[in-house]
Amino acid sequence: MLSKHLTVLLQSIAISLCIASGAAQASAEPERRVVTLDWTIAETLMGMGIKPQAVAQLSAYHDWVAEPALPASVIDLGLRTQPNLELLADLEPDVILISQMFSNIAPRLSRVAPVEMLQLYVPGTDTWTQMLQLTRDAARLVGQPQAGERLIDRTEAAMRAYRQQLPAQTKALLIVQFIDARHVRVFGANGLYHAVLEQLDLENAWQGETNSWGFSLVGLEELLGVDGQLIVVEPAPLGVEAQLADSGLWQALPEVREKSVITLPPVWSFGALPSALRFADTLTTALVDRHAD
Amino acid sequence: MRIKASPISSPLFLCLILGAIVVSMAWTALPVERGLMFNLEALFEPVIATPEEAVLYYSWWPRLCISLIAGAGLGLAGVLMQQVLRNPLAAPTTLGVASGANLALIAATLFAPVLLASGREWVALGGGAATMALVFALAWSRGLAPMVVVLAGLVVNLFVGALAITLLLFNQEALKGILVWGAGSLTQSGWDGTAYLWPRLAVCAVLAFLLLRPLAVMDLDESNARSLGVSVRQLRLAGLGLAVFITGCVVSVVGIIGFIGLAAPNIARMAGARRLGPRMLWSMVLGALLLTTTDLVIQHLAGSRSAMLPTGAMTAALGAPLLLWLIPRLRLAGNKPTTAVSGFTHRHARPGRLALTILALLLAVVVLALFLGQTAQGWGWTAQWSILEWRLPRILAAAGAGIMLAIAGTIIQRISGNPMASPELLGISGGSAIALMASIFLLRSPDNVTLITAGTVGALAALAVLVVLNRRSGYIPERLLLTGVAITALFDAVRSIVLSGGDPRGQQVVAWLSGSTYYVDLSSGVFIALVAIVVMAATRPLARWLDILPLGAATASSLGIGLNASRLLLLVLIALLTACATLVIGPLSFVGLLAPHLARLLGFSRAREHMLGAALIGALLMILADWVGRQALFPHEIPAGLVASLIGGAYFIWSMRRR
Repeated sequence: MLSKHLTVLLQSIAISLCIASGAAQASAEPERRVVTLDWTIAETLMGMGIKPQAVAQLSAYHDWVAEPALPASVIDLGLRTQPNLELLADLEPDVILISQMFSNIAPRLSRVAPVEMLQLYVPGTDTWTQMLQLTRDAARLVGQPQAGERLIDRTEAAMRAYRQQLPAQTKALLIVQFIDARHVRVFGANGLYHAVLEQLDLENAWQGETNSWGFSLVGLEELLGVDGQLIVVEPAPLGVEAQLADSGLWQALPEVREKSVITLPPVWSFGALPSALRFADTLTTALVDRHAD
Repeated sequence: MRIKASPISSPLFLCLILGAIVVSMAWTALPVERGLMFNLEALFEPVIATPEEAVLYYSWWPRLCISLIAGAGLGLAGVLMQQVLRNPLAAPTTLGVASGANLALIAATLFAPVLLASGREWVALGGGAATMALVFALAWSRGLAPMVVVLAGLVVNLFVGALAITLLLFNQEALKGILVWGAGSLTQSGWDGTAYLWPRLAVCAVLAFLLLRPLAVMDLDESNARSLGVSVRQLRLAGLGLAVFITGCVVSVVGIIGFIGLAAPNIARMAGARRLGPRMLWSMVLGALLLTTTDLVIQHLAGSRSAMLPTGAMTAALGAPLLLWLIPRLRLAGNKPTTAVSGFTHRHARPGRLALTILALLLAVVVLALFLGQTAQGWGWTAQWSILEWRLPRILAAAGAGIMLAIAGTIIQRISGNPMASPELLGISGGSAIALMASIFLLRSPDNVTLITAGTVGALAALAVLVVLNRRSGYIPERLLLTGVAITALFDAVRSIVLSGGDPRGQQVVAWLSGSTYYVDLSSGVFIALVAIVVMAATRPLARWLDILPLGAATASSLGIGLNASRLLLLVLIALLTACATLVIGPLSFVGLLAPHLARLLGFSRAREHMLGAALIGALLMILADWVGRQALFPHEIPAGLVASLIGGAYFIWSMRRR
């Protein structure tokens, strides 16, 4: 038993070192001035150790994506959907990276600098494959293709390590995030969390329909009768915890009665490899802890 | 305003039909194979062993109960409001209570989350009561006259809605829970909602029936009621206060449920409940049954996706067509505006010189907006073309949109003789907004040409509805405005449904709804400005009609002006101008309301100079709004439409108060 714990500990240290080595390179100035509107692309750049010149909606990025943190010198471009064009023109970037969500302003942006559209969360494609492609594309576009490969190698190595750490017999997982005390987002196919589960050879208990971003908004009653380990991803809106204490339906959930619900710290649910890595890390730790108890 | 008699003798028949639907739908939803007794036992003596039983006891039965109670409550609130205001279109949503509650919850979530922990129902109640009080305050000096209250409610609604959209624009992720609530989801996870709601509504129902007799006197004329010794003002206050409290309670538990409060009392009346007592009773029954039927149908059709189709927004969407059907059946108080408002009739001695002064001011503002602003280095004068090329089109578009809305506003205010009328209220912007939201969600990555085409098609569809419904009645201004209210209600419902799903594309919808000159490029900016100037010139010959039409139908006919033809032409003109402007600065803007008003206030009284003055002021306001919006939160941009509606709304609330 002790030896098993020791192995887990060593593996965790190894993975942490892996992640840290990537972060250490973040201080190097990129050769090209890169700006992006999309937080997912921003976190991918940071994961590759490339500091973008400017990113849209910085304060909200810090609230919702948080990790990897953007250095204070990154400039705020304003709203994601309406980045400040005067400021953008003033910054004279070399390339602007966007996702298809911003395709309607691409013609305007292209008058400031070349615009490159990266595909993410396209229905009917494999999310993980697409994340790898996004990473490679982003790395190529900023002129550092090897940085992309490094991020991918690091992520895949970490995923392999997590896979080995995970207890052999893990129940299917039901991953939710509270919208209010009566509604949750439940995460299924097409989404980041689902892609991570596939990488870790874990099963997703939610087999229902999801939208293009891999979640579905459902009432709590939909969770009853779904057989799976319940995982709550923070943050929950304020007051929800108190309301749940009075919620008959919530209290009727088997995991709640047995106090075996797993709560995970916030991870940007529409992210790419860095978020996937973080989610895999916290999930594995939580499942291993649970198994050890 | 009265509703024509209907041949159906009693609402009982209708209620029986709806009741039968509810029972049969409920029956198919319950696990019948385990017998009636099992299901009833699940309600009264629950043994929760299986997930199925837990869902039945903690979700299915509470949902049924809360929809019955909430529906009855909204029906009661509606009947009280309609009786007190003697206006069949008064309802919790039209009077601003719902939007006030919504704004209060949004603000509390962002700035004072502690308040939510101590009870979100009180936050909602406070917000609803505050907006209603604002509406009362605005209409107080006219003795809370029905039409004034409804118009004040409309203005407050738009203003509060603009504030909510501003907060939403910058905090969409943080507010996703509020969006679900705002769309009215009846999903339950226990009996706490029911336990909260039923005692409060029971007390309110008792109080309402105690008020029955004095309120019934209001069916008579106001002067008669007064001579019978009833204090009309206090009675109105009591009735409305009660209605607001009921609405606040319902809204805080299940969110904004559109249309029930409006429809239930009207259906009850049309089905033959003439006197107030039966009307109250049947409105409650009908409200309960209507909401429950809708909810059961949605649960049945949508299955596990029913949270994606919030019931409250769905009832509102279904209710809009009913409202459209209802409007031609309302007997309105003739061709004359209900409230004669003639505050500003003085005429400036030299309107030409005044116009030149405003033009000079306009040019000064253009120079300021073009060269002064913030860049990465902070404030400064910039003459670099790489920066100016982004500022110039926005200034041109803002000016063009301002001019078009101002002219449209002047025309509608002059033909309706009502300074509260505005092109935004005609629902044309609402129509184009619905089409735009649909294209953002149904097409993958639509480009700007597609968006503009969709918006135009939507605006024309709304125009067609306006024409078809009003052709026979001869385009009576008030009726047109009411049609606009119905289209706007549909727009609100679609917006709620679209935003509540939490789809990241909602961000794009919010950005567009808030009305920004952001998407204008140089060629379209020049085009918009040119169109505006051409329109300004082309409408000058119409000034004669505008001087004569307000004098009344008889005068106009005797002067050889075909009433229907001229009204139709003006209507089409208003619609096209509004559609063009909406595509640039979004559906929320008070410029069409504000510019003609200010022009008149400054002394432009004849139609021709009124239009010119309003156009200049409209351009000035929009350019200022655009500039302030770009600088206030730099690098974040507050859309010009929102800035304009915040300034314009505040001005209107202030000026209504003063009169």
